[in-house]
Amino acid sequence: MQHTLRQVFRSGKFIVGFSILMTILLIVIIYPWVVRHPPLQIIGQGTFFPPGIYVNVYDAIHAPTLYTLNLEDAAANRIGNKLRQEDRVAMKEWLVAFGVPEDEIDIDDTEKLLALWEANYNPDLRLPGMTFARHRYFQRVNASIDGLLSTEPAIIAAPNSETGALEQKALIRQTDYANVDEVANVRILALGTDNFGRDVLTQLVAATAVSLVIGLVAGLIATTIGLTLGLLAGYIGGLVDDVLMFFTNLFTVIPTFVLLILISFSIGQDKRGAITIAMVIGFTSWVWTARAVRSQVLSLRNRDHVNLSKLSGHSVPRIILVDILPYIASYVVMAFILQVSSGILAEAGLSILGLGPRTTETPTLGLMMNWAMIYQAHILGKWWAYLPVLVTIALVSFSMNLMNTGLDQVFNPALRD
Amino acid sequence: MKHRFNLLMILLMIAGMVLAACGGGATPAPAQQPAQEQPAPQQQPAQPTEAPTEAAPTEAAAPVSADALPRKETLYYNGFQWGPVVGWNPYSNSNNNGMAIAQQDSARVTMFETPYLYNMLDGKQYPLLADGDWSWNEDRTEITFKIKPAARWSDGTPVTAEDVAYTWATHVKYETAIGAANRDYIETIEAVDPQTVVIKAKLDENGRAVNPLIVQAYLSTNYVVQKAWTQKLEERSGGDPTKLLADPAEDVVYSGPYGKFFADDTKVVLVRNDNYWGQDPSMWGKLPAPKYLAHVIFKDNAAGTTALAAGEVDVSQQFNSNVQDLWEKQNLPISTYLPDPPYHIGASLPTAFYNLKAHGLDQVCIRKAIAIAVDYPAIIANAMTNQSATFEQVPRSLMNPTPFEQAMYNREAVKHLQWVGNDIEGAKKLLDECGVVDTDGDGWREYNGQKLSYVATCPNGWSDWQAAIEIVAAAGKQIGIDITTNFPEWSVYQTVVTKSDTPLPPGYEIFMMWSAGAGPTQPWGRIRNLLSSEWIGLPSNWSGNWGQYSNPEVDELLKLIPHETDEAKLKEMYTRLVEIYLTDVPSFTLMYRPQNFHTVNESVWTNFPHQGDGTNPPVPPLNLTDGWSIAGLYNLTLVEP
Repeated sequence: MQHTLRQVFRSGKFIVGFSILMTILLIVIIYPWVVRHPPLQIIGQGTFFPPGIYVNVYDAIHAPTLYTLNLEDAAANRIGNKLRQEDRVAMKEWLVAFGVPEDEIDIDDTEKLLALWEANYNPDLRLPGMTFARHRYFQRVNASIDGLLSTEPAIIAAPNSETGALEQKALIRQTDYANVDEVANVRILALGTDNFGRDVLTQLVAATAVSLVIGLVAGLIATTIGLTLGLLAGYIGGLVDDVLMFFTNLFTVIPTFVLLILISFSIGQDKRGAITIAMVIGFTSWVWTARAVRSQVLSLRNRDHVNLSKLSGHSVPRIILVDILPYIASYVVMAFILQVSSGILAEAGLSILGLGPRTTETPTLGLMMNWAMIYQAHILGKWWAYLPVLVTIALVSFSMNLMNTGLDQVFNPALRD
Repeated sequence: MKHRFNLLMILLMIAGMVLAACGGGATPAPAQQPAQEQPAPQQQPAQPTEAPTEAAPTEAAAPVSADALPRKETLYYNGFQWGPVVGWNPYSNSNNNGMAIAQQDSARVTMFETPYLYNMLDGKQYPLLADGDWSWNEDRTEITFKIKPAARWSDGTPVTAEDVAYTWATHVKYETAIGAANRDYIETIEAVDPQTVVIKAKLDENGRAVNPLIVQAYLSTNYVVQKAWTQKLEERSGGDPTKLLADPAEDVVYSGPYGKFFADDTKVVLVRNDNYWGQDPSMWGKLPAPKYLAHVIFKDNAAGTTALAAGEVDVSQQFNSNVQDLWEKQNLPISTYLPDPPYHIGASLPTAFYNLKAHGLDQVCIRKAIAIAVDYPAIIANAMTNQSATFEQVPRSLMNPTPFEQAMYNREAVKHLQWVGNDIEGAKKLLDECGVVDTDGDGWREYNGQKLSYVATCPNGWSDWQAAIEIVAAAGKQIGIDITTNFPEWSVYQTVVTKSDTPLPPGYEIFMMWSAGAGPTQPWGRIRNLLSSEWIGLPSNWSGNWGQYSNPEVDELLKLIPHETDEAKLKEMYTRLVEIYLTDVPSFTLMYRPQNFHTVNESVWTNFPHQGDGTNPPVPPLNLTDGWSIAGLYNLTLVEP
């Protein structure tokens, strides 16, 4: 046993696959200890907030100390943030169309440009030939550059509780900075939010855990059924073999995924929990394991040590367990790994069709993909809602397949180098 | 088979290349040329009224294939048509023909026409086939209107009063859906002379019309079909109603500006009838701008949105999530009717109904507590991606957000009842006060010793509704009422919810359904659907009040309103209804939803209806096809003529 393990861990492919899987597992286990937010809590009012650090503006204003930093490019950044180069070009276009001589307009001189704009722009005027979309674009530009060059501090005011009149409470100067560490509320959304306004990263970790469990349960069930049937059919033979193989062949010709869809659909949404789905997947994907195990057993059952056992009067279960199972164990382990990986993929496939576990009680990778697609994340370029999910699914199944190949090289003499 | 497939692929590719070549230059054109006022294509000297003689619409004359429509003469749509067209039969309601046939509050008048056009923005009916306004007689039992002398069928014959009368007679005789829906309210429709139509209302025991509102609405919701063609149809179906309704009616005669050009399982194209009677000065005075109206049949919303973003669709009638990204982030020449959220004019009120027979939900305080605890801003921001007015902008009532309906009730009088949601503390207090508290310390409240535990539900796959229902369930948990969600398939859901002759089964304590949009009988029709007890006991109830609410005062008011003509009295009655609704909370509105989504891409066409576009009467954002919105087709111009 020790020897086998040592051999296994000498395979480069296995080690790479194993470490990827373990890293994912570790993250899945440790992350919830560090970040204790409920994964399905709706925190964002709005959809698909981009990844980043979210600083509470109210708390930032009320930070214990505001530091003064005189940074040279602060004003330029401020302007650049609101007024992009293409906006400047567009403003020139509008002004020219309106009748301002072209040589009077210098789009690099922000001050002059804004002065010209302020003097001439009329938000209600739709120039001839201009589309509504363009008209509204200029209205947006106009709103965004309002007060852009102001150097006045912003005033924080609160209504007087008696008179209701606004009273100045504080001034925020343009050189005021708050240290993020001192702001009471800062939330890191490393992968932004999804369509429900939920933290994608936290959800992704929880979903990976659920998907791994689904894969594990499905893999266990499929392997157990396949192994049992294969062993019995292969060793006992005769009528038992015929009957078992009849059923196995029956299942082989039915496309598994179609069967899976039909069963999931008929279970009904209210009863589709993560474990139920895992069981459905397990019960529909044992076929190939059974066939492969059977053929292996067929070649084993006439070996000398098996015959010896028979002559010694050992019982059938004992022969199967002691004399046959250990010889196909390596194959079974490999089959199991593949079953787990395909179980995870099957769940994702089902959930994308809307037939996965019931929504929003347990997160799964497939459900995250499903909702991202319903809310058109892929069209609107909200990559954080679906790409990390895809990468996770790919990594999990890649690592497992890699482990499988590694094992194969160790156990299969024909492949050993 | 394979050969044909290859051929199709090649054709498609060629079409694609042609389209790409045409579309290449159509990038958002900034206004570079100053003021080059071009006169609208309006020069046709007033056509002689008898003009269109036998010259039937010459479709064959157009040397254009449906695979390569000239881009600058075609207006492309999405969101109307899913799956292939079944037929062109205006008597049937299973044509699956989104571009041509929809007899509804704002009827689709591209191919068939109604006597009047409803405008959801001002709530008025404008004459189309009709000449001038209609009028009631003294007792409000008969409506009289004239048919425009210029109105012609596509075969050149005039539209007459006889056609209107015969259309109704056919609806009744063959028991069409329209006949069934109006039979209890309309006695007969008669042609007094070729130009004059009289609609006689059914009378109640007091000699008054049973429901004058529904009679009025008939004028703008139902098409006029040619008598001669109808007789042909009857002849070939041998008087068999099933056959008549199943007839695909490829040879149908129509009066609208467009007719069939092409239809298969990939697209539907309508072509303009250049002899359309509406170019007569008594109607539009010109032809609509696009020669073709085309609708590619997309696989799903995502495919439709991609096409819209690519400029292959000009008018989009589908839910594009985060629609503002298309112009704010992607800088595309795309816009909606309003520049800012909610982007569209809300018209219907998707509503959560309570099963009033469920344990605890017979108590007003529990119903109200759940309703005021719900986080509506989250529903609107997340489920609808802000494409709904908020309840701060349009306080809750029974009215939709159109200005016309908002003016129908006294907002000040019910202000104290209009909640905006997210009021967890208020809800808890309400429950504590009426004695619904947690007695056994398990964290959930009990009523009469039994834990309050409900299932909130809506059909599976209806994504914005599902998201909304999730948020309702979350509110319950915060106030100590255990609400879980469940999403059955639509086929199951609809049979359960519409069965109003028995109490609803467990699992349907809180469920979501729609309410009526904007139309000539609104807001009365919507309120009737939401609150009238006349729907209780129906084995198949598609109208409303699925929670089985019953209040004699409401029923009485609903009976009175259709007969009331005094605006002040009407307002008083509507205000009372709103007051009852917000006090009793038999159901509650979760969001506002537009009648139609209406998003336009101005790569090729411009001058679509927008808020403040200067049209008078205002053209509603109904995709330039429905009701008065068709007027928008006459205003369109090319971005680059």
